[in-house]
Amino acid sequence: MYGFEAMTFNIHGGYLEAIVRGYRAGLLTAADYNNLCQCETLDDIKMHLSATEYGPYLQNEPSPLHTTTIVEKCTLKLVDEYKHMLCQATEPLSTFLEYITYGHMIDNVVLIVTGTLHERDVQELLEKCHPLGMFDSIATLAVAQNMRELYRLVLVDTPLAPYFSECITSEDLDDMNIEIMRNTLYKAYLEDFYKFCQKLGGATAEIMSDLLAFEADRRAVNITINSIGTELTRDDRRKLYSNFGLLYPYGHEELAVCEDIDQVRGVMEKYPPYQSIFSKLSYGESQMLDKAFYEEEFHYGVFFAYMRLREQEIRNLMWISECVAQNQKSRVHDSVVFIF
Amino acid sequence: MMEDQEEKGNAENGIGRQKQVKDEYLLQFLDSLDGYLTLLDSLSSTLSQGWLELASARHAMGASRINGALLDLKVHAAATSLKVSEQDVDSMESQPCFTLCKWASSDNGERSSGEEKSLSPQLRHRNNSQLSGIISSPVSFSHFFNFFLSCEEEKVSTRTGTPLILVDQQRQKSLSVFGVLVSPKLRSAQLSFERALETLVEIANLHTTMLSMFEQVHKELENTNG
Repeated sequence: MYGFEAMTFNIHGGYLEAIVRGYRAGLLTAADYNNLCQCETLDDIKMHLSATEYGPYLQNEPSPLHTTTIVEKCTLKLVDEYKHMLCQATEPLSTFLEYITYGHMIDNVVLIVTGTLHERDVQELLEKCHPLGMFDSIATLAVAQNMRELYRLVLVDTPLAPYFSECITSEDLDDMNIEIMRNTLYKAYLEDFYKFCQKLGGATAEIMSDLLAFEADRRAVNITINSIGTELTRDDRRKLYSNFGLLYPYGHEELAVCEDIDQVRGVMEKYPPYQSIFSKLSYGESQMLDKAFYEEEFHYGVFFAYMRLREQEIRNLMWISECVAQNQKSRVHDSVVFIF
Repeated sequence: MMEDQEEKGNAENGIGRQKQVKDEYLLQFLDSLDGYLTLLDSLSSTLSQGWLELASARHAMGASRINGALLDLKVHAAATSLKVSEQDVDSMESQPCFTLCKWASSDNGERSSGEEKSLSPQLRHRNNSQLSGIISSPVSFSHFFNFFLSCEEEKVSTRTGTPLILVDQQRQKSLSVFGVLVSPKLRSAQLSFERALETLVEIANLHTTMLSMFEQVHKELENTNG
């Protein structure tokens, strides 16, 4: 339909596509979620997860468990799978897989910089970093006083370097500057990833453009909702939106002036794909990601979709664990996104 | 004869008044006990709500955005403080009275009833395993609780806007350790913990009233038995 991927894709990508489809089959099912939602303690959750692919990662954890331990170990599994795929991948798939982790890299940079601003120990901050976003010189971030130094000392040699051109200033780092830096970096990253996928062409470009457009739109909505009532001006808010997506550009203009959630809802309801899923944006994304597995073959979208689905699954596990630990099982279904 | 009857009448009136006073003290004690238990229940549900909202915020924003490692360790003035004063109950006794001064660094503190000794030194030594589970680091309950209440001391050079606006600004400032653009759920959690703190102070006040009433009842019982 898109090109002649069927003829050439399997030469370099066939093995890994088979691997990732196998990984996808290991995602938790509705029955698994039903069992987990009925657990009384975190040890019950561990027992139920021992029958899944997370079993080997949790089996040696002593009681009493913490919710963070469950999340850490499940994340380790994702990291192991990702590393296996990355080491087997050739270009351009290897670059594509690396792109998937740049978001975590940005989060880690902001975590280290914010923590250093608050006089926290660097080792403590490094322990909180997401493993998929680690790079060699990350600890050196703690010495930077402003964004120019941040770039010059550390980030110039990382994949995030090209994204810094829009936010290099000599202003000292403070909470507002860091927030703007975070969102500006993420905007530049999404746009770069989008362009990279367009360059790849074929089914990958088609499917990834939909997935990344959804990501950009969801980000725009989150920025809007989270900035309501804050000091962020309308112009600053508009600058943080990505330059692509279904909401670009007219939806962004309307979102920029929203002052409450009802106005945001009103904007979103003008776009048919978002009419029914505004209240369940996460579920909508899961549906799109799942489509990437079923609707087409021979494209890189399956790798992106798998990573996102696993991350959503880990978030689900975190929420279920928190509800169980806090004895609030009646609230479990508030935030669990049933992926299948 | 008439005088005997009069004396008997006066004695009966005196006993009646004593009984009335005893009943009053007893009623006040039971009222304060009821209020105390009600407030304890309210505190428990407010705290549960706060913790769940915090977990919800963490679920929405991600573990790297909300965790104990981001709390500010720089020296700064607490935005909320407690004042303890003595309140005269009657001419013989006084009892401590606790007053909460919220967002005091904005110089527009909201006040709620109650007084207590300084909060920070006592609570710094408490630990809460639920907290460490949620924010994934062994931070004491008080330290985490304090972050919601503390903010960097700032000069407010002009007093623009109503006090409520300044209080909102202080609330946002307090949350800014997690970033400027935070989830509404985190703001809800902050409000829940703020309400919980107010309830705690009310509980402390009611506790002193209850103890005072109990002593009164006890005294009356001893007088009766004596």
